[in-house]
Amino acid sequence: MKKLFCFALTVLLLGGCGKSTLDRGSASGPGAAGTGGKVITVALLPKSKGNAYFISCKAGAEKAAKALGVDLLFDGPTDTDPAKQNEIVENWITLGVDVIAAACDNKEGISTALRKAQGKGIKVITYDADAMPDARTFFVNQATPEGIGYGLADEAARLLNGQGEVAIILATLTAANQQEWRKHIETRVAEKYPGLKIVAVRPCDDLKDKAQAEATALLGAYPNLKMIMNICSPAVPGAAEAVKQAGKVGKVKVIGLGLPSENRRYVKEGVTDSVMLWKTEDLGYLTVEAAVALVKGTLKPGDKSFKGALGEFEIKGDNILLGKPFVFNKDNIDQFNF
Amino acid sequence: MTRHFRELSVAGALILVLAALAIFAPGFYQPQPLLSLATREAPTLVVACGMALVIICRQIDISVGSQFAVCSVSAGLLAAQNTPTALVGLAAIGIGALLGAINGTLIAGLRLPSIVVTLATMVTWREALRLQRQGAFVNLPDRLQWLGLSQSSGQWVLVAAAVALLAALGLAMRHVAAGRFVYAVGTDAEAARLAGMRPQLVTFLTFVFMGALTGLAAMMNVAQSPQVDPKSGTGLELKAIAAVVVGGVAISGGRGTLWGVFVGLLLLACVSPALTHLHVEAYWEKAIQGAIILLAVVADGVRTRKTDR
Repeated sequence: MKKLFCFALTVLLLGGCGKSTLDRGSASGPGAAGTGGKVITVALLPKSKGNAYFISCKAGAEKAAKALGVDLLFDGPTDTDPAKQNEIVENWITLGVDVIAAACDNKEGISTALRKAQGKGIKVITYDADAMPDARTFFVNQATPEGIGYGLADEAARLLNGQGEVAIILATLTAANQQEWRKHIETRVAEKYPGLKIVAVRPCDDLKDKAQAEATALLGAYPNLKMIMNICSPAVPGAAEAVKQAGKVGKVKVIGLGLPSENRRYVKEGVTDSVMLWKTEDLGYLTVEAAVALVKGTLKPGDKSFKGALGEFEIKGDNILLGKPFVFNKDNIDQFNF
Repeated sequence: MTRHFRELSVAGALILVLAALAIFAPGFYQPQPLLSLATREAPTLVVACGMALVIICRQIDISVGSQFAVCSVSAGLLAAQNTPTALVGLAAIGIGALLGAINGTLIAGLRLPSIVVTLATMVTWREALRLQRQGAFVNLPDRLQWLGLSQSSGQWVLVAAAVALLAALGLAMRHVAAGRFVYAVGTDAEAARLAGMRPQLVTFLTFVFMGALTGLAAMMNVAQSPQVDPKSGTGLELKAIAAVVVGGVAISGGRGTLWGVFVGLLLLACVSPALTHLHVEAYWEKAIQGAIILLAVVADGVRTRKTDR
């Protein structure tokens, strides 16, 4: 019995960090079918297909597929699961799709499968989360760290008229992306907004409840605080609830990176002023458009820009940039349901 | 004096922290933020009370954080379907007790080590919840927040409930047979059996009670916010165990008091806001909490060696 338990536990723990490279060498299959005259098939891989974020990406992708007259396959793991992602890519290779667009859960893990797809003549691009650079032609980059950091600093300066004390709540003091965003916020503030003063940086362990506790302490400790800026998504509603409970709505503003659905209530009540994120529908749309252009040959490595139905997008190296993050506020938040 | 030396020394440390705050950051003493801090810690106090019983019984439960999340999300989903608030609360407690009973059956029934069993259930409940919710918050109807009361009365009710529970349990542990059974089983299960108790039943019921308290704590947390984060309760087991250990409950079972746990929790809960008020970098927070726990364990070790001699 004890042994059985240890076994079950091991399976559980391994399941959490499993990475299987399903490289079976020369698998059979028809390989990539020719594209001449045939309808192009785009295969879109999300990190997890039940996630509101990716469902919104899919909505945009479907619009693009309809507009361009291509077939769209959308499949992914139910929960984030890198091994399952590999399995789906393998299936698509066997099926002989024209182009795979992947949001990668495990950068190294999936790259083997994507390289194999390229070997079979299937075009590969990535979106949302990149693979190894040699495993895809382009990465549709939804937001650069600079874009996020500068965007938040600009929004803070706009709301505070460039004056006041700001506290930052982030996920952890060690996560690389959080530190990079923080650095860009501080750079922008130092260069452009001398009136803004970042007085404290507190971690919330990516938990809403902890963010609320941190925000409550910040409100007491810094009586002149004008804004709490949150750079991880659970912190935005957490800080908003703290400001509301402290009766400081309007006196202390709340902004941050987050999902409209988690913040709708506070944005409508006027507690949270703005929530930033890229438009996920646009990300899906641009990804499919770029994928089709790559198959047709209208988008090639080395291009400096890509023009589509949504406008012209800059290409930096092999990254197609979606552009500045989008600001959700009272006026537009009801149009977004993810 | 010597009998309560541990509890008194923790209380002394707490008074030192509070005095330092009064001198260097008087802004800490504002009624509203203090009430909010107390309200936020009330669910942790309830879980810590249960954890004290489990540890006094010479067991451990590291699955409480995951149980807390399952109870919170279940309560949230029920409330979203317009279930009356009282029923939601009872359901949360019931689900908690059920999860506790699963732990208890495996530990007391099959005599498996509690650290392994609760490690397994901790991972299982947490991952199952992640699969089911995909990280999405549960939005609650407005009437649930503060149990339908105004904010400040809701906060007072939650704090008073937690403190009343602590007092009742503290008395029960001293004066009710069931409470004394827990001490007896934790001190020496075989001796307890020879004295006519049923150690396995006591252990089982202790885990069921732990689960029920976790469910109650989850409900107390759900009532504080209009949304439930499915990740809520992450790290709760560490907070509860830390409060219990710092409060002078022996990790080897059989010894400790609930009021010591109360003081231990207050001390640990003050660290984070105190650092914010003293404008100390957040990097220090976990190091200081770790140091407090280490100090408590060392103090216990030194004392045990003295009494052994």
